[in-house]
Amino acid sequence: MKVPISWLADFLDLPTSDPQQLEEILASLGHEVEGVEHISPAFEGVVVARVEEAGPHPNADRLRLCRVNDGSQTLDVVCGAWNFEAGAIVAYARAGSRLGLGSKRPLEVGVREIRGAASHGMIASARELGLGDDHEGIMVLDLMGAAGPSDVGRDFAEVADLGDAVLDVSITPNRGDCMSIRGLARELAAYWEMPLRDVDPRPACGPAPAGVDIDIEDPIACPRFVGHEIDGVRVGPSPWWMQRRLLSIGQRPISNVVDVSNYVMWELGHPIHMFDAAKVAGRRLIIRRAGPGEGLCTLDGTQRELDETDIVVADPSGPIALAGVMGGESTEVGADTGDILVEAANWHPPSILSTSHRLGLRSEASSRFERGVDPNLSGLAVARAVELIVSLGGGTPRAEAVDRYPSPRRPWTVRLRAGDVSRLLGPQPGFAESLGLLNRLGFQTESADSGEAAAVTVPTHRPDATRPADLVEEIARLYGFDRFADRVRHGTDGSLSPAQSALRRLREVLVGAGLSEVHTLSFLGPGQLDSLRIPEDSPRRTGIRVKNPLREEESVLRTTLIPGLMDAAARNAARGADREAFFEIGRVFWRRDDPDDPRIPHQPMQLGVIIAGEDVDVFSGASLIELLSETGGRNLSLPQARLEELHPGRGANVFCEGKAIGFMGELHPSLAREAGLEGRVVIAELALEPLIAPADDWIFRPVSMFPPLVFDMSFILPEAVPAARLLSVMRTAAGPTLETLDLFDEFRGPSIPDGRRSLAVRVTLRGMDRTLTDEEAAPVLKEIAGAVAERLDGQLRGSVE
Amino acid sequence: MDLDRIKQLAQTAPGRIEETSALEELEELESELLGRRSEIAQARRGIGRLNLQQRKAVGRVIGETMQKLAKAVDERRAALQAEAEDRLLEEDRVDVTLPYRRFRRGNHHLLTLTMDEVCDIFRALGYQVAEGPEVELAWYNFDALNTPPTHPSRFESDTMYVESYDDRERTGPDELLLRTQTSPMQIRYMENRRPPAYVVVPGRVFRTDTWDATHSPVFHQIEGLAVDEDITFGDLKGTLAHFAREFFGPEAETRFVPHFFPFTEPSAEMLVRWGGQWLEMLGCGMVDPNVFEAVGYDPERVTGFAFGMGVERLAMVKHGIDDIRHFYENDLRILRQFR
Repeated sequence: MKVPISWLADFLDLPTSDPQQLEEILASLGHEVEGVEHISPAFEGVVVARVEEAGPHPNADRLRLCRVNDGSQTLDVVCGAWNFEAGAIVAYARAGSRLGLGSKRPLEVGVREIRGAASHGMIASARELGLGDDHEGIMVLDLMGAAGPSDVGRDFAEVADLGDAVLDVSITPNRGDCMSIRGLARELAAYWEMPLRDVDPRPACGPAPAGVDIDIEDPIACPRFVGHEIDGVRVGPSPWWMQRRLLSIGQRPISNVVDVSNYVMWELGHPIHMFDAAKVAGRRLIIRRAGPGEGLCTLDGTQRELDETDIVVADPSGPIALAGVMGGESTEVGADTGDILVEAANWHPPSILSTSHRLGLRSEASSRFERGVDPNLSGLAVARAVELIVSLGGGTPRAEAVDRYPSPRRPWTVRLRAGDVSRLLGPQPGFAESLGLLNRLGFQTESADSGEAAAVTVPTHRPDATRPADLVEEIARLYGFDRFADRVRHGTDGSLSPAQSALRRLREVLVGAGLSEVHTLSFLGPGQLDSLRIPEDSPRRTGIRVKNPLREEESVLRTTLIPGLMDAAARNAARGADREAFFEIGRVFWRRDDPDDPRIPHQPMQLGVIIAGEDVDVFSGASLIELLSETGGRNLSLPQARLEELHPGRGANVFCEGKAIGFMGELHPSLAREAGLEGRVVIAELALEPLIAPADDWIFRPVSMFPPLVFDMSFILPEAVPAARLLSVMRTAAGPTLETLDLFDEFRGPSIPDGRRSLAVRVTLRGMDRTLTDEEAAPVLKEIAGAVAERLDGQLRGSVE
Repeated sequence: MDLDRIKQLAQTAPGRIEETSALEELEELESELLGRRSEIAQARRGIGRLNLQQRKAVGRVIGETMQKLAKAVDERRAALQAEAEDRLLEEDRVDVTLPYRRFRRGNHHLLTLTMDEVCDIFRALGYQVAEGPEVELAWYNFDALNTPPTHPSRFESDTMYVESYDDRERTGPDELLLRTQTSPMQIRYMENRRPPAYVVVPGRVFRTDTWDATHSPVFHQIEGLAVDEDITFGDLKGTLAHFAREFFGPEAETRFVPHFFPFTEPSAEMLVRWGGQWLEMLGCGMVDPNVFEAVGYDPERVTGFAFGMGVERLAMVKHGIDDIRHFYENDLRILRQFR
């Protein structure tokens, strides 16, 4: 909210008008100043002058040739405006003055020849001076009340009192009462312990009785409605002081009547609406919810379709205003309006919020009603508006306002105990001081329980204060957050869980292995799972949809990390990286109940990996899995498998202690091509939980000090026998003297029958308590060969010591 | 052969040995001087023909000469071998500044590093680390956090809702959404244990925000919660100021100003002075009694403070990152800078 410092000064004698100091103080009270705008005139060298003569231009019918007296001399000035006559006091931009300062193209005013007549400078309009949009005529300063004959010759910027600083204050949603100059002035008055110089409007009313009939059909929608008619108002431009204030808060002056409604809203925080009373059918207002199919053309010229949640002000012919949001065009005040109906009404905040949100129509009024406006303010607001209209546009108010207020809001009482304050704030401030702070904020306190408690009466503009904790906040705020002594609060146990430690280790290993961590979005487009060819029955196939996605490409919660990783790899490849090795640890979302909380979907953490670049193949992935296996101390195995998204001959499931936890393999070449990735690309996705689950404690195994016996054995085996299976059969058969098995060669060739291959394994045997002899080794080798022959149809090709 | 000849040899041969410049040459010379057919070998073989007295004298001279020459040959051999190796190594010279890269470390993501760093600061104070679900019930994200049903943050323009994933009808507090804050974990954490509670919660959160330099529909927060029997506003300030000094450096100044959050009362914002400016760094406050009631804690007995901070924001401020999108671009040229 824009807050001109000069306007605050209407309400209290500011001890400082330094914007920075005010910013600090407001911030300490909870009102953040987001910016300070220093208003300075966009011109220099402009003086107040008197038009001595306004005659015709010799060569142009639409121009005038004036004689302008700037206090020291009288010069010829050509002017195209007709809204003044000789004698007018005007803003005169002399030759040498400058306009449009701060804009891209400042203008230096000179002596110019216009249609054969010399013009020494110009008579300025509001727009030329950056003081408004009006370009129809020049600024007639005496009519506007901005300057008089005695000011002739003086600097206009000085006369018009243009310098000001405007604070842009951000008001939190709980403080609707601060959406006004008066509201913030009240905060400052509490801070400085100063009296507030409040408005006290006393419009002089005529004898005519109120003529408007107001009927509230829905008192929840509208707790209060005050209407006051004024007859015979002259609608016209506002005086300079009003225009200047509205300009400083970024509001465009329109007419005295409209300007008053904006002015009062800013000053008091209560939105005001002005009806052209003559256009209200039957001079009767009905406050109700919109009916089905009803519509309204709002002041911005837009036809609005309404629904039953919208509140309208209607006359017998239908809706004439969208309550609390925007007025209707049909009853708009215009130049020919004479009778005005001033409305100050109170509206149900959630309804206003819902209407303005649904229609995308946020106005200064709606933003105040959304936060809530004190219904007890409506009477004051109407009186203030009526007083201002009469002073600006004349007219005679009816004898009294019509006030419909079926259930007046009364101040309420909160019982506050000394312990409520000290429990949250500590020993300082003490209870008596706390109550004093509340008094400064307009809360009345009545001590009870021999000073250990108090009945606190909350003013009706503070609906946010209903509980002791709310009062404590007020106390703390005014006491000053800076004054509470800092104390570091220690907890009880800062250790990581075993799984959290294991996750950190896992990440270190991945990074050490050359992979970089990425964070990708949690969303997929619907097509992305199709293009990965994941089978229909997989939980990864159908993601949970977001109801209100930002984009269709981000409308499904990810069921797999792979698409995000492919994007990352493809993007880096396109940007010229020669090797992409990424991992992501993040949640995926599946259409089944979470095992720990069946009310929400299962959203397990996964580890996803992608590796692309030179020398990458399925074994890069396999050795990474091996690395993870060694890191976690648990056995991960990789049974070969065909998965739709993988190369048919280069993929595997990943098992952890007998349970499938994911897959690894080369991305199917056609998918890699579609993604723009060249060469072999390895992907893997594993459930994280088994990888970081605490492993069993391990027990030390002594190592032998005796020399080993080493044998190479090669077997001719059916192609279908995986290497891992061979090793496992050999290991089982070998018995306790086996130390290691290392598969060191794979061979196919003319000497090997079709459909078979040769695998060569180095067998290391070692005794714990002695040097093994060849005689002891022989039966072990025989046992191995026998088992391979029997269980794997493998034929021993040679055994060399 | 006479003794003089041998003595002469003992004089001249070492010079010849020393002059050899290659191992082959040395070996030839060795054979010439000490081999089977060498003069000295022949002389030794002829010793038997001498009388006993001569035999002794000549034998000694021959023995000494042979020893002397053999030693000279060995020394020269060692020298030549060392030279040869030096030459080989010289030839083996490489430019070690060539940009070979046999091992290359990857990088942790800055968001992860920042979350770990913040969590570790609080762990050192004795706060646990917990995580919670990202698809959350409206109950945890809003209702239990004292957020009224009409609060604007519930609008679809702020919050992303998620369809029911099965046949169950979900409305009101049961509605599913992508959590907009890590605060729901306050509730989940407290409802599963009795006080005290000291915990930080890092995690991913979601808002209906379109991308720009400071907004992202996905971002990260760290929530904190301390609940015990005698926690006051000074504890909140002191703990968070401590955090700021640990994270930003010992000179970091902090300031607390009143703010508004539905689930804390009083509420505050912590500003940190950084680069000569006061920057809003996190929201915090004393846990609202309604939150305690939602989890069955007695607000007459326990008090607490809670806070929430944006991970991207912390990292951007600390490392001078100008655009939140850099965190999600996953461009290696950016990722490589993270440490």
